[in-house]
Amino acid sequence: MDNPPNSLAGKVALITGAGDGMGRQHAILMAERGADVVINDVNAAGAEETASLVRALNRRAHVEVCDVADVAAIRRMVGNAISTLGRIDILVNNAGFGRRQQTWDIGEGDFDLMFDVHVKGSFFCAQAVLPGMKERRWGKIINISSIWGMTAAAVSPHYCAAKAALLGATKAWAREFAPWNIHVNAVAPGGVLSGGPLKFYTKEQLAAREAAVPLKRYCDPREISYAVAFLASPAADFITGQVLSPNGGEVIVGI
Amino acid sequence: MADDITRLDGKVAWVTGSGRGMGRGHAIVLAERGADIVVHDVLEDEAAETVAAVKKLGRRVFVSHADVSDVAAVKKTADDAIAALGRIDILVNNAGIGQHKPLEEISEADFDRMFDIHVKGSFFCGQAVMPGMKERRWGKIINIASIWAMTGAGINKASHYCAAKAALLGLTKAWAKELAPFNIHVNAVSPGGVLTEMPIKIQGWDMIREKEKKVPLGRWAKPEEVSYTVAFLASRESDFITGQMISPNGGETIVGF
Repeated sequence: MDNPPNSLAGKVALITGAGDGMGRQHAILMAERGADVVINDVNAAGAEETASLVRALNRRAHVEVCDVADVAAIRRMVGNAISTLGRIDILVNNAGFGRRQQTWDIGEGDFDLMFDVHVKGSFFCAQAVLPGMKERRWGKIINISSIWGMTAAAVSPHYCAAKAALLGATKAWAREFAPWNIHVNAVAPGGVLSGGPLKFYTKEQLAAREAAVPLKRYCDPREISYAVAFLASPAADFITGQVLSPNGGEVIVGI
Repeated sequence: MADDITRLDGKVAWVTGSGRGMGRGHAIVLAERGADIVVHDVLEDEAAETVAAVKKLGRRVFVSHADVSDVAAVKKTADDAIAALGRIDILVNNAGIGQHKPLEEISEADFDRMFDIHVKGSFFCGQAVMPGMKERRWGKIINIASIWAMTGAGINKASHYCAAKAALLGLTKAWAKELAPFNIHVNAVSPGGVLTEMPIKIQGWDMIREKEKKVPLGRWAKPEEVSYTVAFLASRESDFITGQMISPNGGETIVGF
């Protein structure tokens, strides 16, 4: 790494949902910058593939196949990962999914799944990595939210609310963990050429959506990873409780 | 290095107010990452020190001592810098002043100077670099605001400063939208407490130590910690980030979305 403050050498990062899409890109970029990576996903094959990409970069990888909605499984995962790689310095709460549903059609099961994966999963992953971060007096928690956590949409209200909840947790944790020098921030991506957009939109719909972004494009997943890796690095040691939104100018809000 | 996207080789960065403090830090960090630098400060001795530091890193330098509130002088600085270094790819609108006065003591001259340096200066620096950025369809404008643009200054009483810094946030958002078709990215950095010479001189260590206790992380930033954020926003790493603000503030200000 050319720039020492951006280096992640000697750090271990746990990335949930790293079996494909953005999560996999986060794992690869962080490994390129020197981190060993704990790869979590419900999809074993995807997680193993990410692990082999990390190992190809001469970094250590540890795979944990589990559902972050299962709190007991999270605790086992973190215990195993720490026994294997020694520590967790960086947590990226990335695991998530989209579901295009309207309010009337959302059953209790849909609602619970949405909140369990995004919010409860992130919450208890953070709780599990906290003791080591406190002990070493340095840690990074990065919650992956969404521009829909800020602006919402006319669809997927449970997703919008869950992503907004992550912004609330980000700010609360930033304050609560600051005395231990643990920095908590959110990344709220806009349009990314991965996962949902590729699955839910036709080519024409995607082109129309890109045309509506001031920069006239959706981004490559790796462009989100740059924001995550910046926040994960010592270069961002004075940044906590903030939201960084790579969104091509689609959402310009707040102050 | 495979991961060279953080590098700024071949770019030219204009950092206003780079004779000392954070501005000098930005100039040095951007130069470390490979950029040539337009060092710009009314303080000639201080500017010379920054020039020496940048040259020591093996980077090219153009120096200007123009007052950023003088629109003609700003235009000339841009023209001369482009003639000397070939282009300007990155503009860091950093030049600024502090002044602590209650509302009833702020004169028209105080008000004008505050807005002329921060807002008018940034505005016309932006206008001056725009043609080249448009032509090359890539550019980065980083406006240095302040947490006080979001929160006000409280007991420090500097309402003209707070309003000028808030104006920079408005400008950031407007330019992000206006310049997006040309792939020019415009963002703001709003530092919290930073241990530069100015606050140390004006406020003294006792007051700073008291203020540090009120920051969740329990400290103020080293100047280079703000520069790292500036460098991130100046690099291709942030090519999908525009119209946003990053506030390195130790958790002192946690607002909005």
